[in-house]
Amino acid sequence: MNALLISAVMGVLMMFSSFMLKSKSAVRNVALAGMFLILVANILDTYGWHLFNIPTEGMMHFDRFSLFFNSIAFACTFIFFLLSARDMEKVGINYAEYFSLIFFILCGIVLVASFQSLLILFLGIEIISIPLYILTGSDKRNLKSNEASLKYFLLGSFSTGIMLMGITLLYGHAGSFDITVLIKAGEKPSSLAIAGLLMLLFAMAFKVSAAPFHFWTPDVYDGAPTVFTSFMATIVKAAAFIGFMRLFSTAFYSLHDQWQMVIAIITALTLLIGNITAVFQQSIKRMLAYSSISQAGFMMLALFALNGTATEGLFLYVAAYSLATIGVFAVLIKMKDYTFEGFNGFARHHPFLAAVNTVFLLSLAGIPLTAGFLAKFYMLKAAVEAGGFLWLVIFAVLMAAVSVYYYFRVIQAMYFKEGDAPVSMEVSRPFQWVLGVLAFLIILLGVFPNALLYWFYF
Amino acid sequence: MYNFLQIRLSAFLLDVNTVGSYIPVALQVLIVVGLIGFLLWATHMLGPKRKTSDKLEVFSSGIGSHGEARQPMAIKYFLVAILFVLFDVEVIFFYPYAVNIKGLGWHGFYAVLMFVGFFLCGFIYILKKGALKWED
Repeated sequence: MNALLISAVMGVLMMFSSFMLKSKSAVRNVALAGMFLILVANILDTYGWHLFNIPTEGMMHFDRFSLFFNSIAFACTFIFFLLSARDMEKVGINYAEYFSLIFFILCGIVLVASFQSLLILFLGIEIISIPLYILTGSDKRNLKSNEASLKYFLLGSFSTGIMLMGITLLYGHAGSFDITVLIKAGEKPSSLAIAGLLMLLFAMAFKVSAAPFHFWTPDVYDGAPTVFTSFMATIVKAAAFIGFMRLFSTAFYSLHDQWQMVIAIITALTLLIGNITAVFQQSIKRMLAYSSISQAGFMMLALFALNGTATEGLFLYVAAYSLATIGVFAVLIKMKDYTFEGFNGFARHHPFLAAVNTVFLLSLAGIPLTAGFLAKFYMLKAAVEAGGFLWLVIFAVLMAAVSVYYYFRVIQAMYFKEGDAPVSMEVSRPFQWVLGVLAFLIILLGVFPNALLYWFYF
Repeated sequence: MYNFLQIRLSAFLLDVNTVGSYIPVALQVLIVVGLIGFLLWATHMLGPKRKTSDKLEVFSSGIGSHGEARQPMAIKYFLVAILFVLFDVEVIFFYPYAVNIKGLGWHGFYAVLMFVGFFLCGFIYILKKGALKWED
């Protein structure tokens, strides 16, 4: 609750600071301070320090699941601000508004992570989506950015429509929006409930860009300004997954056997399409968009399994994926040329950046000693524990092997190719420190995953 | 047709659940349209007409007109429309509150106050951003 209110107020505050603060660094500092405040307030909330006491029964439920995820998301956003806030200046003139929109998205993330009523889920998804449409099109003079924004808006609204239809049908079945009473255990669900479930499944699969609902992802991630792609592909996608997980593990758990096969097919398709298409990309930004689809495929395994390991694994995966992707994008923003060739000889000119970038890429590929490896391991373990679908596990391992190819192409370009790797802007020392901390965190989580998961229980 | 003529008209009109109960409305519409049409036609035909060039000239308060009245002016329709929708929605939210004003009590009042407060923030923001400055 703390975080929700503070982030809403921060959004308004950033709006005002757009005409009250003259210098951009002041705006940035306000945003950083606000982000830190939200993170601290959320951690206080987790341990019982509520700033406000507002009754939310039946609408939202702030349990450890939601608060813990909020902390991860806020910490990632804070790191994202530290790394990339300076680069947002280059997108356009409305610098403070970009922060304001991101704070509003964080509001939506809190709603999606802690909803108990389907209405709040819908509200949260919309609050996340609408600022994202704007951020996608914020590079107004760029035709690709405009196209991406329009495409995202049309498809996103359409999928939201499907979600609303699903919610309506479920209301028709249960007479309630409360996810805890939506489907009673042991009861044979009506066809209304099944149709509603499927519609919600499709809409949520769209939001997390799982195949075959992934077609918007490459164009939107490619067209959006790179700083916002970084935010969209990590924290927002993670939040959509948490909402997905919360919905299906609470409302539809009793029907798990019936929709498990659908999720298994979606998972396999997402892994296949994401990985195979990423292999053929020439632009690293587009490759990362496809890689985010394939990583979504791995996160879908948590939904498929839906057990204790899956919950833990999803948190670890979300943290590992977000941290690594934010890092890769932060380095990518500094480059002049977004193709693989643009990275040729990067290691000779910027040895430190190349080294940390390698750590991020190794984590995304799932190489041991990085967080990405253990995250993938947890996911596969959860899927094995769920039982019965060994082909899916084997397929996921094969696809992880495919993913190594395109991540290592970047490493190969950085270390083993000749070139001058043109950098479009100078790399400051604090930026390098933050990247170093990020790489350290990824290795730490890869060695001691409990450094993160401990806080889920205590 | 035969059956229709055989019908008892008074019973047909008094029965509220048939099409027949709309006959008075139809009659009313006919009379209204007919009367208006007739009056317009009659004034047009019977009134005197003197068309001179002085009489047809545009004037106000006896002063001759200067220039063209149809100056092009940039009304930012898009902006006006968006702002209209926003404030229209604000007003729409008041309707359910107005119906339940007693039942919601002070709690509802604070909630609405907060809503209006947030809206006011937005309003100040668009004013400061110069959304309503139409002359460039």
